[in-house]
Amino acid sequence: MNKLKLAALLSLTTTLSYAQNTVQTETEKDMKQDNAAFTFTESQLGEDDDMTQNVIMVNSNTNLYASNVGYLWSPVRFKFRAYASHYNDIYMNGVQVNNLENGQFNYSTVGGMNDATRNQDAALPFESNSFGMSSLGGSSNYEFRASKFATGNKVTLSAVNRNYSARAMYTFGTGLKSNGWAFFGTVGYRWANMATAASQGTFYNSLSYFMAVQKVINERHSLNLATWGNPTERAQQGASTDEAYWLANNRQYNPYWGYQNGQKRASRVVNNYEPSALLTWDFKINDDMKLTTSAFAKYAMYSATRLNYNGQNPAPDYWKNFPSYNYDVWKNSGTDDEIEAWTKSRDYWMASDRNRQINFDKLYFSNQQLNTTGHDAVYWIEAKHNDHLATNLGSTFDWNINKAGKLQLGLQLASNKGMHYSTMEDLLGGNIFHNVNTYAQSDYASTASEIQYDLNNPNAEVKVGDKMRYDYDLVSQNAKLWGAWVKDKGNSHNYITAKIGGSQMWRNGHMLNGFYDPAKGWAANASYGKSGTARFLDGGFKAGSTLNLGKGNAITMGVGYEARAPKASTAFESPEMNNNFVSSLRNEKIASAELGYALNSSWLRVNLTGYFTHSYDGTEWQNFYFDDVNSFTYVSMTGVEKNYYGAELGVKFKVSSSFDINLTGTMADAKYVSNTNVNYMLSTKGTVNTELCYNKGMRESSTPLSAASIGLSYRIHGWYLDLTGNYYDRIYLSYSPCTRYDSALRSRLNGDENTPDPITHMRPLGDIDNETGELILKKAATKQAKGKGGFMLDFSIGHQFKIAHRPLSVNLMLTNILNNTGICTGGYEQSRSDYSTSTDGSTSERTYKFSNNPKKFYAQGINGMLNLNYRF
Amino acid sequence: MKIKNIYKVLPLVATAMFATSCMDKDWETPDFTENPPYGNNDIIQYDADNVITIKELKTKYSNVINGSSDGLSEITEDLQLQAIVNGNDEGGNLYKQISIEDNTGGLIVGINGSNLFPYLPVGQKIIINLKGLYIGGYRKQAQLGALYNGAIGRLDTDIWEKHVRLLKNDKLEVKVDTIAFDEKADMGELSGRIVKLSGVTVSGEGTQVLAPEDGSVTLTSNCANRKINGKSNLVLRTSSYSKFANRAIPQGTVDIYGVCTRYNNTWQILMRTESDLKEK
Repeated sequence: MNKLKLAALLSLTTTLSYAQNTVQTETEKDMKQDNAAFTFTESQLGEDDDMTQNVIMVNSNTNLYASNVGYLWSPVRFKFRAYASHYNDIYMNGVQVNNLENGQFNYSTVGGMNDATRNQDAALPFESNSFGMSSLGGSSNYEFRASKFATGNKVTLSAVNRNYSARAMYTFGTGLKSNGWAFFGTVGYRWANMATAASQGTFYNSLSYFMAVQKVINERHSLNLATWGNPTERAQQGASTDEAYWLANNRQYNPYWGYQNGQKRASRVVNNYEPSALLTWDFKINDDMKLTTSAFAKYAMYSATRLNYNGQNPAPDYWKNFPSYNYDVWKNSGTDDEIEAWTKSRDYWMASDRNRQINFDKLYFSNQQLNTTGHDAVYWIEAKHNDHLATNLGSTFDWNINKAGKLQLGLQLASNKGMHYSTMEDLLGGNIFHNVNTYAQSDYASTASEIQYDLNNPNAEVKVGDKMRYDYDLVSQNAKLWGAWVKDKGNSHNYITAKIGGSQMWRNGHMLNGFYDPAKGWAANASYGKSGTARFLDGGFKAGSTLNLGKGNAITMGVGYEARAPKASTAFESPEMNNNFVSSLRNEKIASAELGYALNSSWLRVNLTGYFTHSYDGTEWQNFYFDDVNSFTYVSMTGVEKNYYGAELGVKFKVSSSFDINLTGTMADAKYVSNTNVNYMLSTKGTVNTELCYNKGMRESSTPLSAASIGLSYRIHGWYLDLTGNYYDRIYLSYSPCTRYDSALRSRLNGDENTPDPITHMRPLGDIDNETGELILKKAATKQAKGKGGFMLDFSIGHQFKIAHRPLSVNLMLTNILNNTGICTGGYEQSRSDYSTSTDGSTSERTYKFSNNPKKFYAQGINGMLNLNYRF
Repeated sequence: MKIKNIYKVLPLVATAMFATSCMDKDWETPDFTENPPYGNNDIIQYDADNVITIKELKTKYSNVINGSSDGLSEITEDLQLQAIVNGNDEGGNLYKQISIEDNTGGLIVGINGSNLFPYLPVGQKIIINLKGLYIGGYRKQAQLGALYNGAIGRLDTDIWEKHVRLLKNDKLEVKVDTIAFDEKADMGELSGRIVKLSGVTVSGEGTQVLAPEDGSVTLTSNCANRKINGKSNLVLRTSSYSKFANRAIPQGTVDIYGVCTRYNNTWQILMRTESDLKEK
């Protein structure tokens, strides 16, 4: 009787699932997978430093390709179908937990708790699942119920030479006890200091904990409470130019650190801690009906420091510090003086790492000197904070109507308050600092209200820890209903799923930016206080089918259409300054389709998939310094239209019972298909410019669009050996919008770089039509920068030993064993011009060519991880 | 069972919490009193007897400074200047140059770097080893620098830093003197010093800002030359890139402080910061 009862309890806690849902066991694969997710993504940042990362983790138990690429291509930060990470939906026990403000899920917040995050129910974009309408980039549901974790003790020790050097984890699980209780806990620590971290001048200091306790109250009700967090402090690595890598003789050169009093100091340090709690109620209504409800709450603290300045940029790789600032080697026509200056600069860079890292001593000394004259500090470390408080509720009702059909109805409610502000972290020896916009001082008198960051506290003195420059909240709220109908009919498995949602958002400014002085006629809430509220209604559907053709052959297909409300992170014109929404803000529309073929036989498994996605009315937002207007700018692009399409292949040959050959490959494209309207606000003037950005044909960046792998896998007597060769190509760098603005292109067409060829009389970039004034652009005018791909060989070996009758697993994973350091993993074009613009609008060519010097990241050379885990 | 298990894990969590302290420590402010990280700390301060004064230097090279066309000469002797910074680029009006003085006169030093003022604030005492540097005249304004296209140009920062040493304040007897401006003074002698124009009115008073970019005043090399009312060969020169370019010119009389320079036989006064303009 007791056994029977227990079995019933167990069955209750098992999530109802379809097709792809199996609880994974700890194979070598998922061990690699969960290490990969956090190893390659945290230290390297893209152009937009606010984004903690931009990564999609897909997984699958049905599709060979999707189950492999997550870990296989993580060394080059492969993005599934080149989708942005907000197209990847993450759930925990059925409640969606993506950050409502930007749509992203920050994987690093569940880093270092691998034993807790291993159980995932993954759904590809066109797979039905138990928790929601699968997103464009797939969806995953973490299983966080205490009874679902392995029983016993486990210790894991790892030695790594990536962004951390050592890791230790301890995990304990009881499984479901006969009294209805289950407990699971894991605690881990990951560490590297500046001497051991693979990337120069970085460190890593992260504690992780996860605890879950479950009480199965009776046959119908069960409650689970899980709480976790991982306070993490880590230093970042920055991208630099090929010239810098050459001068440093190291493609892992990191410009973000320097020397202070002979000690290494990082300038960019991220502090992140997001304590989270999740309460889940499983209610078995009857044998065919089930209600799963989870409530989630999180308070996230995220700050990222950077060295800031007033005056000369102290970055060692500031463009004026490079040899090529003096002489353009591409032109090969320098004067003796220019070549001498180039040589001198080169020798200086190469002489010592002190010459190519930040000189904190000089910064301190300068500030100390200024103390004697009462001048504000001109160098300081500032921290940008992106904190948020999220509360989410998800409830799903499952109804097995009959053996072949199932209905699901779900509700997701989410609220997020993002708190954004900047603080003074370190005055670097300075005594005093004021909260004024020194960049606006060239256009306004020192007494003008425009130079104040906060008119409510003009000329406020900023001390260490004080808020400065901007301080605002973005509040987002969303309610969503979804439903799915799944039915097996004959040889087919079919589903249709749809969602409808409403969202609203507003901004609440805590500083009154000086450009919005109510005394000058601005509305009282133009910058300070609550903005208007923007509301959006969105929704969509997906339908799919798997046709079983017999003999292991199957065809899968799916179509979908959805409208997605804009996220608050892109909805405001310049949230650091004012309460304005982006003009012509709309729902983004996405149509997508997929067709696949699968073969499953005793010796061969094949998955071949083709997909096509078209998105339009999208909104994108970024900010950067724009040369031509001599100002920092907040840039919003509306009417973004993109196509994504490609083919994916996964093949597994079972040559013998102990030997497999795996083939994995993709050929994809992901690009803008029309030019985009751009609005940008000048932080020095408070005015908005509108024009067209010629970004048609620009591709999604920092991921290979072509990739292929061949893997040999050998297993014998408890040993396994894997050797995988990977080839990556078509890696584009993030394009810079401003060099493709209509105005910038006109300057370039009129500039020296468009001088006609003396023989052919052809202009390299194009012409301006005399009659219509329209631009006739050649491809060279908007050509996107690319990184080099290449071949990478990976090897791993593992064995399970027995120590005191308990299993001890030893794994060694070596990545890039041929030490190919020339593979670019991504980067970005510099958002600066090859010419300088004077106040009358005329331009003159610069010696330094930003267009020849995009910033890049390269894959790490040979690196590895030795892993031991012992269960007892 | 549950309670017991929590007790098993909590101490571990707590221990780990305490064990993992902050890595990016609170950094101590370094002390640079004896060895500033700018300049050449190996330069030895000469006895006062072996030092050349600015006045002596200008006299020695008066033929290249005051020639009818711009001239220059390399300094080949082992000479040392001991001086004090009296003007810099803090306000953005002096650009890639500083002005220095000792008790005898003043001089402009051209340095090919922006943002010089943080390490060369007004009042910083310096010694300069002159051997290898050039001295010349730009429209008769004496300037220390380097050879550039046959004329006096700016010193590359690395060369400048090899020739200069920043001194602690107690190691040199020199201070910035403000001299009442006298139109009739010797131009060669007064240029490079800080002067005070007392009770003057500036053209554009009450209606304009110092150096607007709107075309309301002619800019030469991005600078506005504002007439001082009643003075025929004296202008207040302000760069439109300076931080006080948009400072309104007050109505009525003002006091103006600034670096006194010459452009051939015209006096040009360069304010260093906005506070060099004193409203009455």
